[in-house]
Amino acid sequence: MSRTITCPVCGRRNGYEFRFGGEDKGPRPEEEGMSPEKWFEYTHLNDCKAGIRKEWWFHRDGCGVWFTIFRDTASNREVVRPPERELEAVP
Amino acid sequence: MIIYQRRSPVVFPSRPLKTDIRDNWTVVLEYADEGDGPYVIDLSHKVKWDVQSADISNIKPFGLTIPEKPGECLFKNSVLAGRLNRTQAMVWDLSETPSETPDQNSFTDVTEAQLLMAIVGREASQIFEKLTALDFNDPGKKSPYVLQGPVSHVPSRVVSLRSSEPPVFLLSCSRGYGHSMVEAVLDAGREWDMTAAGENMFLSFF
Amino acid sequence: MKRLTHLPTLKIDTSKKISVYYRSKTHTGWYGDTIATLLYADGIRVFGRSLKYHRPRGLYSLDGECSNTMMAVDGRPNVRAETTMAADGMHIAAQNVQGTSEKPVESTPEKDWMGFMDHLSWAMPAGFYYRIFHKPEKLWPIAVSRIRKAAGVGVLTSGYTVKGRYDEIYPATDVCVVGGGPAGMEAALSAADKGLRVILMESRPWLGGFYDYRTSLDADGVPLYRKANAMAERIAGYPNIRVFKNAPVVGVYGNSMVTAFQRGGRDRPFEQRYIEIQTRSIVVAAGCIERPLLFENNERPGVMQMGCAHRLARTWGILPGRRAVFSIGHDLGLEAAIDLADLGMKVVHVADVREDGQDQRLLDELKKRDIPFSRGWTAIKAGGKRNIEKVTIGTVNGMRRREFSCDTLAASAGLTPVTGPLATAGAKLEYHHLTGFFLPVKLPDNVYAAGRLLGLNDPASVEASGRLNGLRAAAACGVRVDSELKAAEAETSVLPGPVRNSKMVTAPVKNQKMFICFDEDTTVKNVDQAMDRGFDVPELIKRFTAAGTGPGQGGVPGHNLPLYVAQRGDSPDVDPRPITVRPPLTPVLLATYAGRNHDMHKRTPVHESQSASDGRMDRAGVWLRARYFSDDRRSRREIENVRGNVGVLDASTLGKFRIFGNDALKALQRVYIGDMNRVREHRMTYAAMCNDDGCLIDDGVIVKQAENDYYFTTSTGRSGATIEWIRYHTRYENLDFHMVNLTDAFGVINLAGPNSRNVLQKIADVDISNEAFPFMGYREFTINDIIPVRAMRLGFVGELSYELHVPSSYMQAVWDLLEKAGKSFKIKKFGLEAQNTLRLEKCHVIIGSESEQRTTLCDLGLGFLWCKSKPEANTVGSVALRQTENQSGRLKLVGFKMKNGLERPPKDGSPIVDSRIRGYVCTARFSFTLNEPIGMALVEDSYAKPGSVFGIYENGCKGRLIRAEVVKTPFYDPTGERMKS
Repeated sequence: MSRTITCPVCGRRNGYEFRFGGEDKGPRPEEEGMSPEKWFEYTHLNDCKAGIRKEWWFHRDGCGVWFTIFRDTASNREVVRPPERELEAVP
Repeated sequence: MIIYQRRSPVVFPSRPLKTDIRDNWTVVLEYADEGDGPYVIDLSHKVKWDVQSADISNIKPFGLTIPEKPGECLFKNSVLAGRLNRTQAMVWDLSETPSETPDQNSFTDVTEAQLLMAIVGREASQIFEKLTALDFNDPGKKSPYVLQGPVSHVPSRVVSLRSSEPPVFLLSCSRGYGHSMVEAVLDAGREWDMTAAGENMFLSFF
Repeated sequence: MKRLTHLPTLKIDTSKKISVYYRSKTHTGWYGDTIATLLYADGIRVFGRSLKYHRPRGLYSLDGECSNTMMAVDGRPNVRAETTMAADGMHIAAQNVQGTSEKPVESTPEKDWMGFMDHLSWAMPAGFYYRIFHKPEKLWPIAVSRIRKAAGVGVLTSGYTVKGRYDEIYPATDVCVVGGGPAGMEAALSAADKGLRVILMESRPWLGGFYDYRTSLDADGVPLYRKANAMAERIAGYPNIRVFKNAPVVGVYGNSMVTAFQRGGRDRPFEQRYIEIQTRSIVVAAGCIERPLLFENNERPGVMQMGCAHRLARTWGILPGRRAVFSIGHDLGLEAAIDLADLGMKVVHVADVREDGQDQRLLDELKKRDIPFSRGWTAIKAGGKRNIEKVTIGTVNGMRRREFSCDTLAASAGLTPVTGPLATAGAKLEYHHLTGFFLPVKLPDNVYAAGRLLGLNDPASVEASGRLNGLRAAAACGVRVDSELKAAEAETSVLPGPVRNSKMVTAPVKNQKMFICFDEDTTVKNVDQAMDRGFDVPELIKRFTAAGTGPGQGGVPGHNLPLYVAQRGDSPDVDPRPITVRPPLTPVLLATYAGRNHDMHKRTPVHESQSASDGRMDRAGVWLRARYFSDDRRSRREIENVRGNVGVLDASTLGKFRIFGNDALKALQRVYIGDMNRVREHRMTYAAMCNDDGCLIDDGVIVKQAENDYYFTTSTGRSGATIEWIRYHTRYENLDFHMVNLTDAFGVINLAGPNSRNVLQKIADVDISNEAFPFMGYREFTINDIIPVRAMRLGFVGELSYELHVPSSYMQAVWDLLEKAGKSFKIKKFGLEAQNTLRLEKCHVIIGSESEQRTTLCDLGLGFLWCKSKPEANTVGSVALRQTENQSGRLKLVGFKMKNGLERPPKDGSPIVDSRIRGYVCTARFSFTLNEPIGMALVEDSYAKPGSVFGIYENGCKGRLIRAEVVKTPFYDPTGERMKS
């Protein structure tokens, strides 16, 4: 295991201490007129693109906090917040 | 009055020599063959509180100010206060005479929910190194401090109470893991002939 | 054999004798000897027989780079004799030897009746297993048993268990340096000088790398071995450098983790221990090993690496033989020849594959000793049956040959860098034309390479490279070292850089007995055969010929195979491509990975007393729980006692939580599908949680303790995820609520049965009549003013029953009290199996048994729990429930009984079929209460109505379906009178 994740409370830790919470897709969309397809997409689908993604992680074995990090899915390394230009691709 | 015995989740294979009944807990003061350390000491009967509030910086348990940064601890008059995250702290009363729960909504008595063991001795950090990847040798951290993370794969809170003469660590996790955790800790300490010791031993270090 | 005992470079303690048993004889050496050096010193030359051809094999390297010297030690097979310290009383046996003795321990590898296999090699071309033994299929078992007998290395005797302690540690550091040679030591020192924590990993039992056995002088006239000692001493003076010796690195992962294992032994607290290092930066200075020279019989005992010959003498005081020929391609070989000649060995000839590039001083030294030397010459063939007796050398172009009699041939083509740690870290390696090495062209962030593996040779360059990269690693940890970095870079720029290496691979002979891989008995001819069949990439040839797949982890063929493939390939302009290297870089015992292997589980506060009353404690998630209290797997007496008298069940594993704070209700409304606004103070409600698909994931009760202060329970399996779940579904709002996990704070007793009120009344200090404490009621009371109890009237098993939550430390006391109070009412413990049948009779679902990933709340018939009138809460599950509420084609939960008077329930999980699968049996049991089998199943709509008959396919039913009929539920007490009265 090489992945480390930086918890905002506990600092940099072994990735095994955390639970993955999916890509950041923003708050729940309005229920009004919600189609099953749209709901499915929101609840289950991630973009899964190679590159820097903003993701939710939960410090399960530690402080019990949900937070977001940026991870380069191509290298499986956490990265500092990317410059705005690159961030455009990140939802 | 009938005495209902309270049972600690931590049971050591050693033979108790001196015991004391306190608040219905049978507290072992001394075990046979305590040896020269390192020691593991059951402190599960000590009163522990979980403190949570959006306004946590204004809560002063027993006059203690809860530290600002997560991980920081304060140890004064046998009471330990540690900051866990933005809205949460822990308060452990390690004195012989337990205090009453402060009459505040933000306090939850978790004495029954968590076991508490002290691991004391020169080799204590080496013992932890066998149980966890949590870093207790970081010269950048000043005791007392608390780390939250897995110890022998069990989510735990470990306080480095002091770093020398001799180092004292406090390990707390869910009560149900008592049996497994005792086994894991004693096994990790076997290399240095770790033994179980009573509460008197713990008090002798302060 | 007389050993050299007064060399300053020795690593043996000649005051302590060590004796081992081998071939029924005692062999004696000294403390510090490895098994291999001890036996070698006592005249042993053949250590074992090879995998396929049963060729004799001897000492070739000293670092376990091939399987030649793997032996059985105290019954454990495949112990690496070169890297395992000899210990008093060890029983050692050779491997893969047949026919010399009845007892395998006495087998002498000098004789092996399977030796004729060597003459059959023509019948075993590359890939012959795959190509010959696949048709007809009938041949497989015969082929397998024959090949198993003939081929292989160690044998594990049945019933063998691994002895000894296997430990694990998880150290953290700032800089981890892989390799304790001069570059690694310098890197460690320069990083440690910046105040950082450093871990230095060395696979040999001492630091020093390629310095520690050499007496040649550096630029300042200091012998290299003394320099190594001085550096090791300096390192020992640093409290912030931690050295692990005898600790080979297994892999480097990303830029933050290095795993390794450390060899222990009898005088250590462990046999082997796993080391997992978390680090912020990594310096790899693993140095070089030798690249084997390929010639006829290049693995015959007596042929060894130049470093092996040199270190045998210098480190262990053993002259490898009396007369030696050297066939080398590096100055280290010239140095070895000179030094061994000075130590008393007759060096009859030194052949150097290089035409030029030798250090003139070394050539002068050879001349001074009258050692014949020839440029552009190489070993062609080693002769001799079990140990070499003669060697043919010849010109690289094959024009001239000469023969010498000798007992030792120090042979190697050159050096090869140990890049495994870099490769596993994700470095990209490419062929480097000057050095002939595969060198990193792109390193991951915070990973640095230093020393000899970069192709450096000059000691000053190697050390400077270590210093420079130690500083780089320090900078990666955030230390400001700008000016020092500049100085170090300037220092290295004026020192000699990487040097040209010999690229020679094979001697100019066409012979099938040139071994490119010793472990797998792969010859150059095998590689030719693979290439003739069209394989052109080393990676594929490796798989087809098995070269490099043996215990040596590619140490011997790793470099030669790609070089040879490129040389022989059709496109000469294509650079050699390296073979992928994977962990473990050095083989590790599985016992080491198992480590201390504690089974971490939870026990309830009444675990001991239940297991003492014959409770069978089974794992349920993280907990151990009582399943039965007798040998009756159907728990008949436990069930009947609950229905007839009173039973007591330990339900302490239920999840228990406090939630409070200004937005506590809001959070509950989000995750609970019902309306939590309706719970009144000091009252309780039953509630369920769904996921975003509307599927039931949890149920429990909620007690309102005060305004925005609740106590709630979850199922056993969900308690670990509850806090995570609630916080996940509120993560975008800054809600003000807090949760405390009280699961372990309370023991829970389920007191159930018609007599339960009578039992409880004996210990409770309040009125618990049906009026005062009705069904679904919640009360708090104390036992004797001491023990606080939270009591709930629930009915999971369908009888009058109470769920008592008591502080865990008092749980055993309360349990004992109840058992005493219930004695006259025939109280009896019951376990999970009894509970399962009891609740099945009531058709109460267990999530995961009666539901699966697709089962919504409505599918289970629990739609009434869903409050549709709280859209403002954004309740998790409500969207999907609305979308699926009237969807057709969903599996629905039904109860069924057997047709045709079958007295046995079908197996759980059996599919329900007609022309296709229509559902499956969730749980089915024999109901002693109804005296017939009953069950619940998830079925398609068409079968969901009472009266429908469906067929159940059971494993082994041979096509005869079991008929069952859907009936109205629940099976037992449909009005609920028994649990409400």
